[in-house]
Amino acid sequence: MAGLELLTDQGYRLDGRKATELRKVQARMGVFAQADGSAYLEQGNTKALAVVYGPHEMRGSRSRALHDRAVINCQYSMATFSTAERKRRPHGDRKSTEMSLHLKQTFEAAVMTQLFPRSQIDIYVKILQSDGGNYSVCVNAATLAVIDAGIPMRDYVCACTVGFVDETPLADLCYAEESGGVSSLALALLPRGGQIALVQMDARLHQDHLETLIEAAMTACKGVSKVLDEVVRQHLQEASVLSRE
Amino acid sequence: MKVVREHYLRDDIWCGCETCAECKQDSTVLQRDACIESSLCSYPHYLVPDTNVVLHQIDVLEDPVIRNVIILQTVLQEVRHRSAPVYKRLKDIIHEQGRHFYTFTNEHHRETFIEREPGESANDRNDRAIRVAVRWYSQHLKTSESGPDGLKVVLLTNDQGNKQKAEENGLVVYKFEEYVKSLIANPELVDRLALSSDDKNDITSSKVLFPEHLPLSKVQAGIKSGSFLQGTFRASRDNYLEATVFVQGEGEESTEVLIQGLQNLNRAVHQDVVAVQLLPKNQWVAPSAVVLQDEGAAKDDNVDGDEEEKLSRSLTEAARKATGKVVGIIKRNWRPFCGMLNVSQIKESTRHLFTPADRCIPRIRIETRQASTLAGQRIMVAIDGWPKDSRYPNGHFVRSLGSAGEKDTEEEVLLLEHDVPHQAFSQAVLSFLPKMPWIITPEDMAQRQDLRHLTVCSVDPPGCTDIDDALHCRVLENGNLEVGVHIADVSHFIKPGNALDKEAANRGTTVYLCGKRIDMVPELLSSNLCSLRSNVERFAFSCIWEMNHKAEILKTRFTKSVINSKASLTYAEAQMRIDDANKNDDITKSLRGLNKLAKILKRKRIENGALTLSSLEVRFHMDSETHDPIDLQTKELMETNSMVEEFMLLANISVAQKIYDEFPECALLRKHPAPPPSNYDILIKAAKSKDVTIHIDSAKALADSLDVAKVDGFQYFNTLLRILATRCMMQAVYFCSGMDSDFHHYGLASPIYTHFTSPIRRYADIIVHRLLAVAIGADTTYPDLMDKHKQSALCNNLNYRHKMSQYAQRASVAFHTQLFFKARGILNEEGFVLFVRKNAIIVLIPKFGLEGTVFFDSKDKASPNLVFDEKGPTLKVEQHTFHIFDQVKVTISLDESNIQHQKIRMALTEPVIPGVSVSAPEAEPQAKKQKLDR
Amino acid sequence: MAVDMRLPTVKNSMSLSVSAAGRKDLVVPGDVITSDTGFMRGHGTYVDEDKLTASVAGEVQRVDKLICVRPLKTRFNGEVGDVVVGRITEVQQKRWKVETNSRLDSVLLLSSVNLPGGELRRRSAEDELTMREYLHEGDLISAEVQSVFSDGALSLHTRSLKYGKLGQGVLVQLSPSLIKRQKTHFHNLPCGASIVLGNNGFVWLYPTPRQQEEEAGGFYTSLEPVSLSDREVISRLRNCLLALAAHKVLLYDTSVLYCYESSLQHQVKDILKPEVMEEIVMLTQQKLLEQES
Repeated sequence: MAGLELLTDQGYRLDGRKATELRKVQARMGVFAQADGSAYLEQGNTKALAVVYGPHEMRGSRSRALHDRAVINCQYSMATFSTAERKRRPHGDRKSTEMSLHLKQTFEAAVMTQLFPRSQIDIYVKILQSDGGNYSVCVNAATLAVIDAGIPMRDYVCACTVGFVDETPLADLCYAEESGGVSSLALALLPRGGQIALVQMDARLHQDHLETLIEAAMTACKGVSKVLDEVVRQHLQEASVLSRE
Repeated sequence: MKVVREHYLRDDIWCGCETCAECKQDSTVLQRDACIESSLCSYPHYLVPDTNVVLHQIDVLEDPVIRNVIILQTVLQEVRHRSAPVYKRLKDIIHEQGRHFYTFTNEHHRETFIEREPGESANDRNDRAIRVAVRWYSQHLKTSESGPDGLKVVLLTNDQGNKQKAEENGLVVYKFEEYVKSLIANPELVDRLALSSDDKNDITSSKVLFPEHLPLSKVQAGIKSGSFLQGTFRASRDNYLEATVFVQGEGEESTEVLIQGLQNLNRAVHQDVVAVQLLPKNQWVAPSAVVLQDEGAAKDDNVDGDEEEKLSRSLTEAARKATGKVVGIIKRNWRPFCGMLNVSQIKESTRHLFTPADRCIPRIRIETRQASTLAGQRIMVAIDGWPKDSRYPNGHFVRSLGSAGEKDTEEEVLLLEHDVPHQAFSQAVLSFLPKMPWIITPEDMAQRQDLRHLTVCSVDPPGCTDIDDALHCRVLENGNLEVGVHIADVSHFIKPGNALDKEAANRGTTVYLCGKRIDMVPELLSSNLCSLRSNVERFAFSCIWEMNHKAEILKTRFTKSVINSKASLTYAEAQMRIDDANKNDDITKSLRGLNKLAKILKRKRIENGALTLSSLEVRFHMDSETHDPIDLQTKELMETNSMVEEFMLLANISVAQKIYDEFPECALLRKHPAPPPSNYDILIKAAKSKDVTIHIDSAKALADSLDVAKVDGFQYFNTLLRILATRCMMQAVYFCSGMDSDFHHYGLASPIYTHFTSPIRRYADIIVHRLLAVAIGADTTYPDLMDKHKQSALCNNLNYRHKMSQYAQRASVAFHTQLFFKARGILNEEGFVLFVRKNAIIVLIPKFGLEGTVFFDSKDKASPNLVFDEKGPTLKVEQHTFHIFDQVKVTISLDESNIQHQKIRMALTEPVIPGVSVSAPEAEPQAKKQKLDR
Repeated sequence: MAVDMRLPTVKNSMSLSVSAAGRKDLVVPGDVITSDTGFMRGHGTYVDEDKLTASVAGEVQRVDKLICVRPLKTRFNGEVGDVVVGRITEVQQKRWKVETNSRLDSVLLLSSVNLPGGELRRRSAEDELTMREYLHEGDLISAEVQSVFSDGALSLHTRSLKYGKLGQGVLVQLSPSLIKRQKTHFHNLPCGASIVLGNNGFVWLYPTPRQQEEEAGGFYTSLEPVSLSDREVISRLRNCLLALAAHKVLLYDTSVLYCYESSLQHQVKDILKPEVMEEIVMLTQQKLLEQES
C-alpha cells in the first residue's frame, strides 16, 4: 500500500484543509471555580484542559524560591484514554517531563514573573484527547488559563506546529500528518511583538528550509492568537456585564 | 478500534469549467467547447471515468484525443492505492496542459461529500460518491449559463450495477467500450481497450487450467501464520516452466523457493509479488539444467502432459531445493512489454498471441484488427489479466515501435526493455544550460585555483568526446612528485534541484551502446563545456597529491581549478610517447612519471589483495555511413589503460575518505560486498577438473591462487578462470553511509570507495563532487544532499539505472554481433567450453568475446545419448565427454528462423561426433576474412 | 438514594447586551492603552517601547494620570486596614504565617496579637515557646492588614477584640473582587447568623454569639453544640453566597440579606440548581435596585 499523500496536487491535505489553514479552535475560560484560572481548548480533535494556581507562597521546598521573581511550575499530563493505546502513566514519563519543561520555558518568557518575587505559579495541563500538536494546544490552553487567573503577561503566547511536505509548510498538523514522517517544528510566539518564546524541533531539516518554516509557523501562531483574542474578549464582556449590574 | 478523524468540508472548491460564472476560480481547466466527436454524445461533454476505467483503460486515456476529463478525488485516491504505475501515468496526463484533465476534490466539497452508510462496503460508497459528484456537476453546469445545447457530464463505467444506479439517477452514463467505439475520428483506439471481465469468457475455453488464487485476506493470514511465504517471483530465462521466488527473510537472511510446472507457477508473471506454499519435502526437486522455450502453437490451450515431462527430474538428494507452489498474488508488477505478434493462422481472427522480447514474460493474447500491419513490427502490449481458464494472459495493444530487425527499432526496443530514458532533453532542461558563447568570468577565476600553467593531458579511448579526467605529474623542488587528477567540474554547471539536475538524476548514467550514446547531460555540457579538451580553458575539480618516489602519499589536497589541457591522447598514443626514447617533452616526461608511479601503486594494490578479473569486451568497427559493424575485435589493454585507472582509483579512494570524514551520515559511497562462498562452487569445480586449487578464504587468497593457476600448453586457461571468477562476484552498489555499516570494496580491497572521476557520465559522481565541494568550503549544502533517506532513494535509482545500462549495453553488443554475423555468413572458429549443461554446452569464442550455446537435442531429430554428471560437471554425448575448458571448434551462423529472437547459432565441428557435429564450412568465408584483415 | 444529575448545558448569554460589545475600556494582555507618555503606569500595565500596554485582561481604570487595569479575577491585593479571614499555615519564631489568598502568605507577628492578660502584657520568651497554644496550623483567624512589606506580603494584626481566632462556622472562599468595601465587614444578620466578609474573598459564617462577653483575647472558642436551626440558616447563607458569586453580584450585608430572603421559598439543597440560582439572584438584584432608587 502506498503511504498517505499528505498534500494533493490540488493543495488539499488529508482532512481537506489547505496548507496554511488551521484546525477549528474552540475554547472556554473559567471552567473551574476553585482554581485561580482555568481554560478548556479544542484544536481539531486535540483537547486540553489547563488550570493555573497562583501566584502563591512557595510550596514544597522553599529553597527553590527566587528573590527577584516568581517560579513557574508546570506539569503536563495525558489522560490515560487520550491516545489510541491506553497510556500506563499519565505523567512523569520522559516525554511528559520534557513537555513540562518546554511549557515552563515558554511561560517564563511571557509571564511577568518579576512582579511576584519569592512566589510560585502552578500551571497544570492535561491532554484529554490527543490528535497531534499536543504542545501547541497545551500552550494555547494555558495562555487562556493564565489570563483567566489575572496574572500579568507581556502578550498572549500562541503556539502552533508546522510540518514540511513537498517544499510546502503545513500549519497545525494533525496526528496522521505528524506520524506520516514529516519533520515538524513547534513554535510559541508572542504575536504582537513577533518574539519567539520557544522553537522546538527534533527532526532533521536543512537550514535553507528553516526560515520558510518559521515564517509559516509565525503566521499560523498569529492566526491562533486571533481566535484566542476573540475568546478572551467574549469572556471579558460576559463577565463585566454581570459584575456591572 | 475506531479512529476519529477530522474531515473538513469546503465551499471554495471550484468546478474548473470555463463557462461557469458561479465559481470564483482564477484559472479554468475544462474548455467551453469540449468536443470529442462521438456518435453517442453529439453535444459538448466532460468525461468522468470511474476507478476501474482508469485502472484498466489508462492506455486509452493517454491518447491525446481524450480531452476534458474530470478526475474525481475519490478515483484518484483509489487509483493511487491500487496501482502506483497507473497513478503516475494518470498524474502525468493531468499535468499536461493541453489535455484539460481537471481534478475535482469531491471528498472535501460540501455538496459532494457523502458518508458511508451502515452496511455499505467501501467500494459501494466510492461508487456512490462518484455518482453524487457527477450529479452535482450536471446540475451545476445546468444552472450556469452555457448556451443552448448545454454542457453535459458523461460518467464512464464498466460496472453494470453502477451504470444502472446512475441511470436511475438520471445521469448520462456509458460503458467505456461503448463510448470508445462511438468515437468517430479514432477507430484504432478500440484496439487499445483492455478486455473487461465479461468479454473474456468468449475468448477462452471453459476448461479451468489453473488453481484459484487465494483471496488477499487468506494470503495475509497465511503469511502471518507462517504457512505461506511472500516473495518476488522471478521467472527463469531459460526455462518457461521454472521460476524461483526470492523470499526476503528477517535481516540478512533470504531464501529462494523453486517453482516448477505451469500449475505451480499458477499465472504468476516475472517480478510479481506472490505468496508461495512449500511442498512436502518428498516433492522437492532440483533446478533442471534443461533449456526450454515455450514454442506451443497459438491455438492450443491445453497444457500438454508431455510439456511437464520435459522437466526431467533429478534425483540426487543434495541438489534438491525447497520447492513450492504459488497460491496467491499479492501485487502484480505488470508493465507494458515490447515484443512481436505471432499472427494467428486463421486469417480473419482478431485474436493473436504476442511474444515478448523478454523471455521471462509469458506470451500474451491480444485482440486487434490491425494484425496484418502489425506483423513484423515491434509492438508494445500491456497485460490486462490472466483468468484461470486461460493458458495465456490477456492483454491489449499499446503502440507500435517500428519494423523488426531495423536498427532503430531494435535500439528503441532495447532501450524500452531496459527502462533507459532516452527521449531528447526537454526545453525546460535545456533552459538551464549556460548561454553560449561561454566565457570564464573574473569572479569564476577568483574562486578557483589557476592551474593553467601545469602540463595537464588526458588519456582516453579513441573517439572519446566526453573527456572527464586529465592528469599531470611534475617534480617538486624538494624532489617529491606532485600528481594531479583533474576531473571535469560538472557540478558547476548543474545546480541542485533544477530541471537539468532532476533529469540527470533520473537518467543516472550515460548509456553507451554500439555506435550510440544516450547522454546523461545535454551534449553542450558532455562534449563541450565540461569535456576537458586540449588547448581550451576548462573548469576542473582537482585532487592533488604530493608523493615520494615510492608512491607514498605525503599530502592530499582538493581544489576547484581552471586547467588548460595540453594534449588529448588516446591510450595508444600515450603508450607510444612513453615507449619512444627520443621524445623528451614535458607531456612525455609527465606521462613517464605517472606510469612509473602507477606501476608501484598497482603492485601495492595487488599485494593488498585486489582482484584482477577479466571479461572479454568487444569493440565494433563501424561503417561511417551505414553505421553497420564492419569488424569486431576484443578490447586490448595497454599499460596506459591501467595507468589512468590507477590514478582514478586513488582519487576515488581519497575523495571517499574525505567526504566520509566530513559527512559520516550522508556520504555517497560505493561498496562491493564479498560474495558468499557458495558462489565460488562453479569456479572451484572448474579449476579442479584441471587439478588446480582455488582458495576463496579472502580476496587476497583468491587473487594469489588465480595468479598461480596455470596449465602447461593451455595459456588461455588463466583468462578463462578469471572470466569465471568474474561471474562469481556480487554487484558493486552505491549506498549512503548513514544507512549501512559495511563499506568494504571487495574487488579493489579498499576499506572505502566512491565514484568521483566521471561526473559527465555518472550522476553519483556529481553528488560526490557536491559533497566534496562543501567539505572544502567551496560550496554550500542543500536540503536533499543532507537527507540520508532521499540520498538512499537516489542510490537505489542509480544502482537500478546502472544495472539496466549494463544490460542494455550487453544487449546492444549482442544485437550488433548478430548484424555482424548476418553479413559474414557462416564462420568457423575455435572456442572453449565455459559451462556444461544437461543438454548443451556453452562455448566461448575468445576472438569475438562471444558466448553461445551448442544444443545436443533438437526437436526435429532424435537426440543423441546424453549422460550428464553433476559432479564434474561433465556431459557425455555418445562417446565423447565434454569437460569445462575443453577446446572445441564450432561454426557460427545467424539463426533467423525467429525474427523476434534472432540468435547466433553454434554447431560443433570438432571434436567430431557422428550425428551431432557438422562439417566445417568451406573456403567462402575465408575470402571475406582476408578482406577484413587489411 | 436518588441523585440529581444533569447534562452540561450551554450557558445562555442572554445578559450579554449589544451595548456591552466593543467596549473600549476592556483590554487584553498586549493591548496598547495609550502611546501618550504623559500617563503613569499602574497595576496591570507595562511600558513597551514608550507605549503603555496592558498585561492582564480587564477593565481600564484612570485616576488622574494613573492608569491601571483591573483584572476580572485576581489574588487578593491587600491594603492597610483591610479586614481579612485567613488560615494559619505555619508557626515560626515570633510569627505565624497566614494564608490569605494573597500572592504570598501573610505574617502575623507575635507582637501584633492581644495575648490573654490584657493589652499591656509583656511578651516573654515563654510566650514564644507557647505560641502554638494560642494558634496552631489550620486555625482560622480574622485580622486586619497592618502594613504591606516591600515584596507585597501583608503584615496582619488582631489587636482589637473583634479580631481573633474563629470558632465554629463555615468558610466560603470567593473572589476578592466580589467583596464590596464598606465601613464594617462584621455583621450580625437579622436572620440569626453572623458574617465576616473578609476583603480577601474569604467569608466566615457563624452563629451569632449569645452574649458579648469579653473573652480571653479572642483565643477562646466556644464548643457548645450549635442548634439545627442555626446550622440551617448558615447553610442557606453559604449557598446564597455561592449563588451571588456565580452571578458576580457584589457582596455586602444588604445583598446577602436580600438574597437570603429571596431564597426562603426554596429548600437549602435546591438553591444551587442553576435555574433556582438564577431566579434567586434576579429577585435579589430587583430588591437592590428598588432599595437604591
